[in-house]
Amino acid sequence: MSDLAYNDVSRRALLKGGLLALATGPVLAACGVNTSGSGGEGSVNFLSTQFSPVEERQKYESTLKKFAGDIQVAYNPVDTGVFNTTLKSQLAAGKVEVGIAGGLHSDLVPFASQFEDLSSVTSDLSSAGYSEDLLELAKLGTDTPRYIPWIQATYVVAVNKKALDWLPSGADVNNLTYDQYLAWAQAAKAANGGRPVFGIPAGPKGLHHRFYQGFLLPSFTGGQITTFRNADAVTAWTYMRDLWANTNPASANYDFMQEPLGNGEVLVAWDHVARLINAVQNKPDDWLMVPAPSGPRGKGYLLIVGGMAVPQGSPEKDKAFALIKALSRPEAQIETLKSNAFFPTVKTEIGGDLPGGIALEAKAVKAQQEAGDAILALPPVGLGDKDPQVSQLFKNCFQEICLNNADVKATLDRQGAELASIMDTLNVPCWAPDPDADQCKVA
Amino acid sequence: MSHTKTTETTTQAARQQPEVDRRPLARQRRNRMLLQAACIVITLFMALPIYLIALSATSSRAALQEFPLSFIPDNFSLETMETFLQSTGILGGLINSVQVGIFTLLLSLIIGVPAGYAVARFAFPGRDPYQLFLLFTRALPIVVLSVPLAQLFLQTGLYDSVIAVVLLHTALALPTTILITSSVFLGVPRDVEEAARIFGCSPVQAFLKVVMPMAIPGIAAASIFTFVMSWNEVLGASILTLNQRTLPAQVLTSLAESPLAYRFAGGFLLVVPALVFIFFMRRYLTNMWGSTIR
Repeated sequence: MSDLAYNDVSRRALLKGGLLALATGPVLAACGVNTSGSGGEGSVNFLSTQFSPVEERQKYESTLKKFAGDIQVAYNPVDTGVFNTTLKSQLAAGKVEVGIAGGLHSDLVPFASQFEDLSSVTSDLSSAGYSEDLLELAKLGTDTPRYIPWIQATYVVAVNKKALDWLPSGADVNNLTYDQYLAWAQAAKAANGGRPVFGIPAGPKGLHHRFYQGFLLPSFTGGQITTFRNADAVTAWTYMRDLWANTNPASANYDFMQEPLGNGEVLVAWDHVARLINAVQNKPDDWLMVPAPSGPRGKGYLLIVGGMAVPQGSPEKDKAFALIKALSRPEAQIETLKSNAFFPTVKTEIGGDLPGGIALEAKAVKAQQEAGDAILALPPVGLGDKDPQVSQLFKNCFQEICLNNADVKATLDRQGAELASIMDTLNVPCWAPDPDADQCKVA
Repeated sequence: MSHTKTTETTTQAARQQPEVDRRPLARQRRNRMLLQAACIVITLFMALPIYLIALSATSSRAALQEFPLSFIPDNFSLETMETFLQSTGILGGLINSVQVGIFTLLLSLIIGVPAGYAVARFAFPGRDPYQLFLLFTRALPIVVLSVPLAQLFLQTGLYDSVIAVVLLHTALALPTTILITSSVFLGVPRDVEEAARIFGCSPVQAFLKVVMPMAIPGIAAASIFTFVMSWNEVLGASILTLNQRTLPAQVLTSLAESPLAYRFAGGFLLVVPALVFIFFMRRYLTNMWGSTIR
């Protein structure tokens, strides 16, 4: 081995490295490359939990560019955990760099009292026509509005027209009952040689817990938390077991139904509108989008609301307020619907010039909301960091009852006891569809 | 030519001693074949996923919807890759990540190599507790570290800069750097260093000219650990930055929610630079089994 060569190389390299490090140390802070399209002096940092997938982000950034006027916006989509820690550490340090915090209702709840009072913005937007429910939610349990409703979404059923052949006679695809939905799934399975073609996003990142929280249980029991373990809930979960037996077993791996729907593995599936849209958008003529089925108590449906809030101490407070107003204009809200499939929160005529997939979706969402027997449900409100645990309990029920074939009553009692103890420690009021009570308790 | 000669001699030998035991030879040959087979299996185990990711990243989106997927690149298209690279912050994130990786590497070597040398060569009070204490930074979850760090950086104005991430990654990388280099320095005989001193080297010269070159493989190994750790670290980087993300912080969480095509494109882009780095460091690393360390 030529030690000599090594000698030279290593010493020179070390010297160079040392000098380089010394020289670059101070410059280093300045040489980072911007990754949010903007940022720096005078721009508004928009920290958000929404629109993080690559294409969705691009689309939303162009919406922002179109409506923000001369306000520079740095759009930073992150996951809920990072959203939380970033806001928390900035608020604790007393040096807030985030201008606008955008997230789902449940993302914003933990910071209620640390957001600016948006009364002035709300009164400026009084003609926008927000629904009473939304305005009440936006107060986050305080006396004044803490966020401005930004986006809303829900879940519907996407139907490949091929599957209509097996629709039970007498059933209206736009107004199904859960029994007809099950009969349809059974007929479709039988017609495909025993291969189920219905799907549900029960994968690790799938949103199937929202199906139990906002659709199945409200439709069968009229409640979500208070009725968690009553006799109606037993009926609901027994139904779920039957439905699972006629659902594509690969569903336990599906996170986004648009993928199995897109490649034809699944023909009928329930999921979040934004997670169905890609399959439908490519070939709108092959698809129908229909409201979720109705149960004995009505048509339970879950409403997802996102809001824009301004953390206290935000460096560009005035610009942030202006941006919120700009994004609340009906045109901006409709643009968001067209590009990202999230619905306007303001009252506006959606119009007929929607792209095919979005038009199908809009029709289904409207039908679902306006159904005579509709039961509005919200994702858990005010649970803070217990939120994932509560959702996990619903997933546990699915796991036990549908996958492990456990006894329904015993499973509900066991998971219900856990839910009851979480709810007892939290001491929060009930949310829709459970009846308004000072403290939400599992009956 | 020598070949024919050996066969000649062996045939001669066989003629003279017909009952020669060939079993050791056969066993050796069999072992060699097994070794080759094992090498091929391990290579496939490592290379196949990378091949599949590369294949999917360069396939058209429609091709990814087909079933079964083909194993040969018959649907070559750079469309997803291009859209992915052109989306906001991907190239910027890539540059930031490379910067963070390199600066973390330099900083952790500048601090870690002398520390490793000290741990290996000098008996000082509290050496063992010190070595144990080093591992403590890794015992704490990054979330616990990053939130107070984020507050500190916010107050000192370092927040949202490459240097903030470099400092965090250096702190995370130092334990492995120190422990790996110290174990390599232990392997460098003290006599060699003493000899250098006798021939007129100062202690620093002896370290730089004699000990360091012999410890290159260990330093290379530590570098790979450091770079790959820095490259893969997401949580700290996403908490300490806002507008100047590293690539994983920029895309990793969003990829989990993106369509399949982008997951492959992103995965491929995340794998490649680390592979390139390891490819260059490899030649230093292989010396570990060579003659450098006795």
